[in-house]
Amino acid sequence: MVKSVALARRPGKGKKLAAYFKRYWTLYLLLVLPLTYFIIFRYIPMQYIQIAFKKYSIVKSVWEMPWADNNGLEYFIKAFSNKDFINAVRNTIMLNLLDLIFGFPAPIILALLLNELPYPRYKRVTQTIAYMPHFLSWVIIAGLARQMFAPTSGLVNNFLAKLGIEPIPFLNDPKWWVVTYVALGIWQSVGWNTIIYLAAIAGINPELYEAAEMDGAGRFRKMWHITLPGIRTTIVTLLILSLGRILGSEFDRPFALMNHMVNNVANVISIFVYKYGIQALQFSLATAVGLFQSVVCVIFLFMANALAKKFGERGVW
Amino acid sequence: MIKSKKSKVGDLVVAFLCFILIVVCLLPMLNVLARSLSSSEALIKNKVWIWPVGFNLESYRMVLSDTKYTWSLIWTAILTVAGTCLSLFMTTICAYPLTYEHLKGRRFFNTVILFTMYFNAGTIPMYLLLKSIDFLNRPVVLLVPYCLSVFNMIIMRSFFYGIPDSLRESAELDGAGPVRILVSIYLPMSMPVIATLALFYAVGRWNGFSDSLMFMKKKEYFPIQHWLYLLINSMTNIETTTQEGFAPPGLSESLKSATIMFATIPILFVYPWLQKYFITGATLGAIKE
Amino acid sequence: MKRTLSILLVCFMMVTLLAGCGAEPAATTPTPSQQSGQPSDSGQPSESTPEPEIVNRRFTKTRSITVEVYDRNNDGGSPPEDNFYTNFIKEGMLRDHNVEVTFIPVGRWTEVEEINNLLAAGDAPDICVTYSYPTIQTYANMGGVLDLAPYLTEYKDLLPNLYDLLGERNLFWNQDPVTGTVWAIEALLFNQARINTFVREDWLKKLNMPEPTTLQEFENMLYAFKNNAQLLLGSEANQMIPFSISFDIGWRADHLLAAFVPNDLTDKEAYIRGFDDRHILYPGIKEGVRVLNKWYNEGLIWKDFNLYGQGDSTEDNLMKAGYVGSFIHNWDYPYRGGDDGIHANLQKLVGPEAGYIAVAAFKNDAGLYRKFLSNPIDRKVFFPSTNDEPLASLLYLDWISTLENRRFLQIGEEGVTHEKMPDGAIRLLSATGDKIMNSPNNIDYTITINGLDLGDPDLNAKSLAFNYAGVDPRYIEKAWPLSMLDGRIIPQFNVGEIKAEEGMGPALSQKRDNFLVQAVSCPPDQFDAVFDAGMQDYLNSGGQAIIDERAAKYAEFYE
Repeated sequence: MVKSVALARRPGKGKKLAAYFKRYWTLYLLLVLPLTYFIIFRYIPMQYIQIAFKKYSIVKSVWEMPWADNNGLEYFIKAFSNKDFINAVRNTIMLNLLDLIFGFPAPIILALLLNELPYPRYKRVTQTIAYMPHFLSWVIIAGLARQMFAPTSGLVNNFLAKLGIEPIPFLNDPKWWVVTYVALGIWQSVGWNTIIYLAAIAGINPELYEAAEMDGAGRFRKMWHITLPGIRTTIVTLLILSLGRILGSEFDRPFALMNHMVNNVANVISIFVYKYGIQALQFSLATAVGLFQSVVCVIFLFMANALAKKFGERGVW
Repeated sequence: MIKSKKSKVGDLVVAFLCFILIVVCLLPMLNVLARSLSSSEALIKNKVWIWPVGFNLESYRMVLSDTKYTWSLIWTAILTVAGTCLSLFMTTICAYPLTYEHLKGRRFFNTVILFTMYFNAGTIPMYLLLKSIDFLNRPVVLLVPYCLSVFNMIIMRSFFYGIPDSLRESAELDGAGPVRILVSIYLPMSMPVIATLALFYAVGRWNGFSDSLMFMKKKEYFPIQHWLYLLINSMTNIETTTQEGFAPPGLSESLKSATIMFATIPILFVYPWLQKYFITGATLGAIKE
Repeated sequence: MKRTLSILLVCFMMVTLLAGCGAEPAATTPTPSQQSGQPSDSGQPSESTPEPEIVNRRFTKTRSITVEVYDRNNDGGSPPEDNFYTNFIKEGMLRDHNVEVTFIPVGRWTEVEEINNLLAAGDAPDICVTYSYPTIQTYANMGGVLDLAPYLTEYKDLLPNLYDLLGERNLFWNQDPVTGTVWAIEALLFNQARINTFVREDWLKKLNMPEPTTLQEFENMLYAFKNNAQLLLGSEANQMIPFSISFDIGWRADHLLAAFVPNDLTDKEAYIRGFDDRHILYPGIKEGVRVLNKWYNEGLIWKDFNLYGQGDSTEDNLMKAGYVGSFIHNWDYPYRGGDDGIHANLQKLVGPEAGYIAVAAFKNDAGLYRKFLSNPIDRKVFFPSTNDEPLASLLYLDWISTLENRRFLQIGEEGVTHEKMPDGAIRLLSATGDKIMNSPNNIDYTITINGLDLGDPDLNAKSLAFNYAGVDPRYIEKAWPLSMLDGRIIPQFNVGEIKAEEGMGPALSQKRDNFLVQAVSCPPDQFDAVFDAGMQDYLNSGGQAIIDERAAKYAEFYE
């Protein structure tokens, strides 16, 4: 807690405030530009969120549009009474949880692994190659995945056939599709996500490692007692932000990987919004669903943040 | 320092695991590279895996001789550098004041900013806003509307929290103002996070094209990924064939792969170049303690 | 402090400098009301129509309109808003009607989003084109579309060519029977050929088999392909695909499925069950899909078809490589694409005698090769409500529909984009540079017609065969009439808007594809369960509501 030494004595409140601003006015000056940015590019368009409660008309301004039926809740009702929407929510949560359970620790483990690599050039090469998949768009990755995992002509299944194993429907069967979906997600992002952790590890004082070495600590002891605590803030921050996206739904990955055999697991909220909302020009419905997602995400963010604070962490808020 | 045998074996295990990682990540890229260098016959028969079959440079010749792609590459590079600088600047001046626990209105600012990460209303409202401030079809529309990422700002702020308050306090005692402290203490120690965010912003700008798709009509300002999107789409849009009764002009698979390579390779080199900054920061941190 | 401020200043300058780049703002569309200076800004037809302002179909004061044109971003293409053909149109319009035309390019793949943006901003072109009528209906319900009915009737005498080409039929196709509004006119689908069944001619020869004429013969042929894979493909025998299909089963098995529909299906029933453009709700379709299921499980259908979605080129590559024995697709599918097309690649990779020939193999219960053809409608042309120049816009449509003008657009200049054959037929050549056609027969400009029309049906038929570079005309000459043999067109029943259909199109289409794909791919003993469950879901999700409303409306207007 930074307490300004000059304000240790407390004069009258008004004078105190004035003195405060005289000292720290530059901080507010710094914030002017970002706040202006947020107001213009985020808050002004945000007025359109109210179309979730209105009958959208493309030729009227937002304030002129009439209110939707059922006290403006018509589109929410429409969404929740749609079986496909409930299905989409279920799928979104399921896939996001799997991504979290398997995809969140993966870059941490990889960062620790890379940190253990004693050959600097090899380390640099590995890092550079590991994050290459991040640069391929999902359309391309899906094309490659189909080539690899197709039941009869795919490389992997051909290889399995040679070993006498039945072809595995990596992308055709719903259960296998989920596995492939999560695995490809990890493959694409793990190298990239290690960058933050490696940067955080780089900020740890090397003297700590030397001291531990002298105490006779082995590789894993050092990891557990120095490295992990050293990047704890980063981990917690990213975990809170990830939990806050539990109902968020990316579009590219499921859209590129889905096919007509797996729609009962692949249909996530973003795809629902695309089919029922955007392609069908039902903007109010799309916005209503988006608003629902946002509200749930904020609630989760709040909860995760409070939980972190209970454990003594700083939190995001 | 002599390493114990157990430690050496451990190193080899680690090296081996990294090797597997390299293979898994590199092979698909090699596949795309091989496709870009293969003949169309080999691609039709699906014979290309890691090595080119029917090696030829025809596709690259086509891409490199097409001025719209080569210009777009240069333009995207300019855009990326300018955008990254702007973004880093905005992120820093936003994150730093929020690290002051006693800042009046901090709760308010935090809420206002965090809120924007979750609530947004889609493309049409943004389009209308950009039209009203006359940003459409100007290069500035590719730089400003998405220049500040709240996520990245939070990361930078987290990093700033990690810098000991004692440094700030002693500087204040010496009479330094907040901005002075930022420039002479925080920034030099924050090289790792600045390098990280520079990478994030640079890659985001290089790979992103959803804004140019909607807000930029002038072809000379298209980023390279926008061209790639158009290329892939014009090759694969079956919906149009059934509707309009004719097929899109044949563009080879090889050309598509060559353009992917062309659009991806430059940005891959940014990280190795930025790596040296990761180490500098750590050393500085040690000395200050 | 000073340093900070100066840094800030520098950055501000940097941003404004970049903002200044590309200083000229986007070309603002000249608003018609500014240019013409007419009092008729309100757009009300009867009160302020500038009757005395037009003499011999020419405006006395120049008017301005904007027209949407697709930007396909073709490799080597010309700018769609400014090239040889747009100049031809602009000069013609100015000369004949004193109307200035500006083209607004809209990305072909981002069309709907862009039109949404333009409509919301009030910048939409005066004349817009789209394939989807429900889209226009939605815009109309929001108040974004101009009603064309009053203008079409009032100005009929000024639009002889438009009426000539499209007739009252296409112009008033979408007229609401109750309110009389016309939100969009229908372009003419000139070529009714839709789908064909293709078989490898060289394989039939090798196996000494005649072309199949019945379902049983077709199935026998598929077994023959499968069992003789070694003979037909040699070392690549394991790649044999007797019959290929894609996820879009309704389209890709159209002839087969249509054969299972009872011949005595009434027009009424067809209308009531006609929402889905793949006819999935027609009676009998289930048995057709059962055949596909049987074939799939017998290894006669491409095993991996259910993996690939829209736009994937894997199936095409298999055809080009010569592995596919038969398939059902667009009526000229193997012959399109010139050098990159399936036929050209077969010639290259397999041999000069390789090729796909169109056959008629699926008879229905009356012995006819029944197929359902489209009505002669194609794209829909509509005017957004921001259109201030309805008459000028209609004159544009009239001009574009005039035979000499559209013929020139469709075939271009002799020697450059086409050559005349001895019998008068036209053969298209590919041009480069400014005179290149960005779309075949410049379909993007001839928005009121789809299909080559030289004015003479004989010449049209002959020229059609020459439209495919590198393909022996005999293939086209067989494919074209076969694709329309025993065709049936369900007449249009105009009952106005079906409310239950709003917003349902994309979602129901996806459901349909889902359950068809799953029904074909599942084991035979699960077929009934899967198909019935899928159909039930389709109906419960809005399909039944559409059927019911259609039935009710039909009863209201036609009984």
